[in-house]
Amino acid sequence: MAGGILPGRIQNRVTLRVRSVEPYSSELTAEQVGVIADIAEKYGSGIVHVTPRQTVEIPDIEEAYVDDINILLNGSGLYTGSSGRHLRNVIACSRWCLYNAFPITDLALQLNRRYRDRILPGKTNISLSGCDFSCVRSRTSDIGVIARADIELTDKKCKKCSLCVKEPLGCQVDAINVSDDGVSIDTDRCIRCGFCSNICKPETIRVRLRSFDIFLGGCGGIKPREASYYKSISSEEEVLAVIDNVMSWYEELADEGERMRDVIARTGLEAVGG
Amino acid sequence: MPKVGIIKGVLAKDIEVVGDKVVNLRTCARPYRNMYSVAQLRALKNIIQKYGSGKVHLSPRHNLEIPEVRQKEIDNALKELYIAGLFPGGAGTSVRNIFTCPDWCSRQIRPVQEIGKMVSMRLGDKDMPNKVTISFAGCSNSCSRPHNSDIGVIAIGRVSVKDGSCPDGCDGCFKICKFDAIKKVNGTIRVNDNCIHCAQCVEVCGDDMLSIQEAGFRVLMGGKEGSSVMFGREYASFVDDFEVLEIIEKCLRNYGAKAGLRPESSRKKERLGEVIARLGLEAFMN
Repeated sequence: MAGGILPGRIQNRVTLRVRSVEPYSSELTAEQVGVIADIAEKYGSGIVHVTPRQTVEIPDIEEAYVDDINILLNGSGLYTGSSGRHLRNVIACSRWCLYNAFPITDLALQLNRRYRDRILPGKTNISLSGCDFSCVRSRTSDIGVIARADIELTDKKCKKCSLCVKEPLGCQVDAINVSDDGVSIDTDRCIRCGFCSNICKPETIRVRLRSFDIFLGGCGGIKPREASYYKSISSEEEVLAVIDNVMSWYEELADEGERMRDVIARTGLEAVGG
Repeated sequence: MPKVGIIKGVLAKDIEVVGDKVVNLRTCARPYRNMYSVAQLRALKNIIQKYGSGKVHLSPRHNLEIPEVRQKEIDNALKELYIAGLFPGGAGTSVRNIFTCPDWCSRQIRPVQEIGKMVSMRLGDKDMPNKVTISFAGCSNSCSRPHNSDIGVIAIGRVSVKDGSCPDGCDGCFKICKFDAIKKVNGTIRVNDNCIHCAQCVEVCGDDMLSIQEAGFRVLMGGKEGSSVMFGREYASFVDDFEVLEIIEKCLRNYGAKAGLRPESSRKKERLGEVIARLGLEAFMN
């Protein structure tokens, strides 16, 4: 069914899948939480489900009321969507997480605003991760982005606060050593998550270079597949351009219903070009 | 009350290290049953306005994360959350939120919400060597990602074919099968060993030629996604609800006993999939 209106469990009832496009897409405002609660109470059965793609589902809605409900939703930046053979909600990890090479929610928001529910040959998931841990599963999405922060040591004196290594947080891959001589970094172990530079107050550790790794053709479902590494790029604008290019390639080459994984299996990653 | 779920936060963009003063509070319903009520949403709305900055982040595992909660107000915020049935949790080296697909999906072969709730009651937030993700799927579409969870449970159905003939030219079941598992042999429909018991052929059959003769659960172990990807290995097939619970408990007991440090790490323990890769699935479960 179209645009976030899903078949329900009872006849003549549907489930609404609700996503936010204003002011954020990975977060809801207090007002939006209130609107969703009101709709679930008045039109649904008093419950909602939060999905892994940062949308909220409200079940047991009578189809006849969907138009009225859309007016309520739209008024606070909410829309039904993210279903069917479309681009799904672009998800991003929390911008408040300390392991954050880049506050990637802004990029997700831009993509959601630009391409909302774009029709594509098959369902398409784009997931943006702020660091290597990829909590939003960039390695098993049609298009996955992982932000990287190459770090360097500056001449600012290390205060030996040890926040960069102290449990339970701290460097998760034993790449940092804090001793009487100061701090040293093992760049072979470093996964470029940006944590140390985020937490270092005296700026002894600083980001030298930010980049984004792009992965393509992963998916979950009945035949799950890990994505293939595609390329690395250096700016937000390039990320947007690459994603635009990839979607055009997909539209051109995919048969109806095929996922990117299937197209890559047929044509190889080289066909993506760019 | 578990202390997990309070994640010290910072706004990376401002690189403003507020350290102990502001936290990112991850909350969820306990026991987790895959949904939030209107009352919980309204309580959440008040709490994020009063103690946070008026926003809630929707986490990829159904948690509600409240950012920018002032450290000295945490106790008051928690009290109001408890009244609404929301608790800090789903973080750290413990059993994370149990994923289930919602009961209102029309495709389910078996409903999984109740069994997920039971697992959440018994094992939710339990300390583990490393994070543990458990996901239940009502069908092979695997929307809750059981293939990439430490423990994945998928409802499956054994297909039976009725005697008789199909309408001329009908090829719905052949077309939908992604595993080449259903074919016409000498005029009759045959299901072969490629079948993964997803029962999508049954769903698409408009003529009652195909039906599910037995339903049960497949249990996968050792999947993960994130910094590296592993796919779960099948441990059991066509087991019922209670067997699933026993298997999960046994699996986590063994994980607790057999997990070692990750190679080259001084503090991080292996994920379940890494232990299984090291020992082999059978040896791990014995």
